[in-house]
Amino acid sequence: MSHFLDYAIPGVPYGCDFALMAVGLVLTFRATGVFNLAFGAQAFTGAFIFDLLVTAHHVNQWVAFMVAVLVVSPLLGLAFDRFLFRVIPTASTTAKVVTALGLLIAIPQAIPIIFRNTTSLQTTGFWLDPGHVYLNLAGSPVNGGQLSTTVVTLAVAAALVAMLRFTAFGLEMRAVVESRRLAQLEGINSKRTAAWAWVLSSVLAGLAGVLMLPLSGGNLVPSQPLQFTTLLVFGLTAAAVASVRSIPIALVAGIGLGILQNLITGYLPNSSILSAQNVKEALPFAVLAGVLLFNRELRTIEVSSDPLAACDPPPPLPAVAIRDPRLSVPMTWGFRLVVVGFLVSAATWVPDYWVTALASGLVLSVIFLSITLITGMGGWLSLCQASFAGLGAFTAGELAAHLNLPVLLGALVGALAAATTGAVIALVAARLSGLLLALFTLAFALFADGLLFNLSWLGGGNTVVVPRPQIGPVDFSRGDRNFLGLAFVVLVVCAILVKLIQRGTTGMVLAALRGSPTAAASLGISMLRQRVIIFTLSAGMAGLGGALYGSLLVRVSSLSYLYVYSLAFVVVVITTGSRSVEGAVNAGMSYAVLLLILQTYFPHYTGLEPILFAFGAMTYAAHPEGIVEYQKTRWLNRVARALQALDARRARTAGPDPAGPQPATVGGDISGA
Amino acid sequence: MPEPDGERPLLEVRSISIHFGGIQALADVSFQVAPGEAVALVGPNGAGKTTVFNCISGVSRPDTGSVRLDGHPIDHLSAARRARLGIKRTFQRLEVFPELTVRDHFLVADRVSRGDGRLWRDLLNMGRPTTAELEAAVRVAGVVGLPDALDTPVAALTLGRCRLVELGRALAGRPRLLLADEPSSGLDVTETAELAAVLRAVQRDEGVTIVLVEHDLDMVAEVVDRAVVLDSGHVIAAGPLSQVIADPVVRRAYLGRTA
Ligand SMILES: Nc1ncnc2c1ncn2[C@@H]1O[C@H](COP(=O)(O)OP(=O)(O)O)[C@@H](O)[C@H]1O
Ligand SMILES: [Mg+2]
Repeated sequence: MSHFLDYAIPGVPYGCDFALMAVGLVLTFRATGVFNLAFGAQAFTGAFIFDLLVTAHHVNQWVAFMVAVLVVSPLLGLAFDRFLFRVIPTASTTAKVVTALGLLIAIPQAIPIIFRNTTSLQTTGFWLDPGHVYLNLAGSPVNGGQLSTTVVTLAVAAALVAMLRFTAFGLEMRAVVESRRLAQLEGINSKRTAAWAWVLSSVLAGLAGVLMLPLSGGNLVPSQPLQFTTLLVFGLTAAAVASVRSIPIALVAGIGLGILQNLITGYLPNSSILSAQNVKEALPFAVLAGVLLFNRELRTIEVSSDPLAACDPPPPLPAVAIRDPRLSVPMTWGFRLVVVGFLVSAATWVPDYWVTALASGLVLSVIFLSITLITGMGGWLSLCQASFAGLGAFTAGELAAHLNLPVLLGALVGALAAATTGAVIALVAARLSGLLLALFTLAFALFADGLLFNLSWLGGGNTVVVPRPQIGPVDFSRGDRNFLGLAFVVLVVCAILVKLIQRGTTGMVLAALRGSPTAAASLGISMLRQRVIIFTLSAGMAGLGGALYGSLLVRVSSLSYLYVYSLAFVVVVITTGSRSVEGAVNAGMSYAVLLLILQTYFPHYTGLEPILFAFGAMTYAAHPEGIVEYQKTRWLNRVARALQALDARRARTAGPDPAGPQPATVGGDISGA
Repeated sequence: MPEPDGERPLLEVRSISIHFGGIQALADVSFQVAPGEAVALVGPNGAGKTTVFNCISGVSRPDTGSVRLDGHPIDHLSAARRARLGIKRTFQRLEVFPELTVRDHFLVADRVSRGDGRLWRDLLNMGRPTTAELEAAVRVAGVVGLPDALDTPVAALTLGRCRLVELGRALAGRPRLLLADEPSSGLDVTETAELAAVLRAVQRDEGVTIVLVEHDLDMVAEVVDRAVVLDSGHVIAAGPLSQVIADPVVRRAYLGRTA
């Protein structure tokens, strides 16, 4: 028993930290319908500002705490509310998640650059000295860091629960949580209450960040701010245990997860697959996946229990294009010209380092096409596409190393392995949809990073060599121009595949499922079947792209396919346009080119490239077709309208001309959407 | 006309009950529909009519009781499987596919009902609609009165026309049993009369069995011969329409609520 407590007690402060995060998530979700993944970024911001004030500016730590947790964090939350989420109150949960995802990626990248501080966060203490043991609990020493985290959390939690229970404000808050619209009818200012929910939960997130500092012992590095997403993942798992509903359960679940995590370190052997390290890494996966699959109450969180939900206006529709037949010829030829120009340039005058970047753009486009399939066409947000890519790459690499399999064949086997995995995920997660499905794919990504990619036969966490292919006399390891050609061919094949699916029955069936799953089922469309098909294809394509990416870089490791890339990829594709093949290719090419420009001309700002896209993701709710796609449609419509106006003028001057071209106007006008 | 006997019923609802939280939405509801028959399901708002449709089409599962099609229980089947057995429906709360045109609504319903639309056909570029399929879509559009709207995305249609799209979508899927949930709401008087004629024709000429939920009793009288009356989840009357309407219990249920 004392052995148990030795491991359990040090887990409590971590658990407290997770609990703060979980409570924040529950609070905002209930009051605003936003599952705010950006709390991970807010936690980071709190910790960063606190550290900056204390170490760089030698500010008193209580003042720094006030500024970081009570001023900056709530302001950030208020800004989210005012400028983003309040603008999109009726958007789908998925749209809100994408918006939050954009923030989660952008903010931690931007802040260190803004404040020109990319060294490690040095503050190790807050309030009590972490180097000093203050008391012994059941024989295990408790240091100042652990003590202050626990005491502060419990005090804040008690205050919060008391406030919700006993004050008039708490009552209003609970009313808004029941039904935002009904509360409005009762004269409660639901916007104000929602703003307060944001303030409160942002304070909690900032607090969680600051309290993370003494627990980490100076190991937090701003250049890897996504350490804070681990905190977020535990927080959202605890929130899921509480069905994103009950604050007390979220608290207890958070603390429980902290204890569980520590117990594993104590009880599992240090060798074999089930080593403590591996299992500890995979713990968030296992718990999150388990909760998503088995907490049935969770499945109803997106089905609004709000009796007035039907009063909301429907979400915006993708802009409808005015099709003018006269535009199609120049468009087609323009496109062909660009492609030929691209190929000829790449083969001749473009400098080598540009060729490498363009080749990686083509390869990324293949991976991004898998997102077009799954998110654009299927409507399912997948947060594990980079893991599928990794699966493809490691399979190809290992097969080449051990069985001498030609790498292109290995890439196909890798694609097959990824496809099978995709099918299994679709089957296991058959009953999940929307937000929960997205979180389940995130759980798989964590599983891949923590466990799968550490298995000895999948790279074992080390560098894996994915050789360049050789087809007959053509050796693709000589320079990147050849490889660019290969990548181009693969991309074209994948693009045609996606186009055919889009145009065929499957495309229509998927549009039906996106539009109304209930009505689609009433026609005989099986959601599960379509999901398995699309997950399989998409994962396979990501696996193929991943293997190709590995072959381009030659040396890859599990770090090349971290789950954060999955998040970044989704954000990038959604920004440019997830509904079309062009969108994916635009995304791949602009991502690669942007990266190159930053690396070459602004080396201080590398790491910034996801930000540019991440801010774009915040427009997803308004323009689900992506901003590039939206702008394209808008400009085409302008040209079409100008042509029509020209026709009208000509018709008026030249008298009636029945043979004049009649542009077909389809649907509504984009400016009205 | 008494309860159909002798012939095996196409649809048989056997004492289904379902509750939502504290609300007993359906309590021991039973009725039968013979092949080719048109039956109305009437009752005040909240009586449970839509819930009956949901239980038949597989959107909801009753707590107890059973639904049979051709004498076989279908309780274990998903909504999609039941649809493929020929149960097609429309929705009281509109459920169209906003991104698709009217033509696509009909095409997709048609293909799915024939089990056509396999992935490999798409990949071989054989997914384009055939002439026969296009003709079928035009025919359905003619039947429901939307011949001019085939290429319009439904997002650009009025509510009333969207209801017609839903009806056309159900018809394009070759129903054996059509469940129409308040199809005339949002339509004006002439449109409602036309709709009644369409339903009548579908039942008479194509042998489709119809269960109709409708408030407009004139329209109901146009389409059906027999009615089942629900009130607060209980069947309070069943039989020939004229007889049911004259029933004092039914009058009380209706007037007690609407007066
Ligand atoms: N999914 C549901 N959740 C909770 N209550 C429901 C649900 N579906 C129906 N009900 C309730 O069941 C009763 C019957 O509803 P419904 O079948 O829609 O009636 P009708 O179609 O006859 O107007 C109503 O009281 C309604 O509130
Ligand atoms: Mg109803």
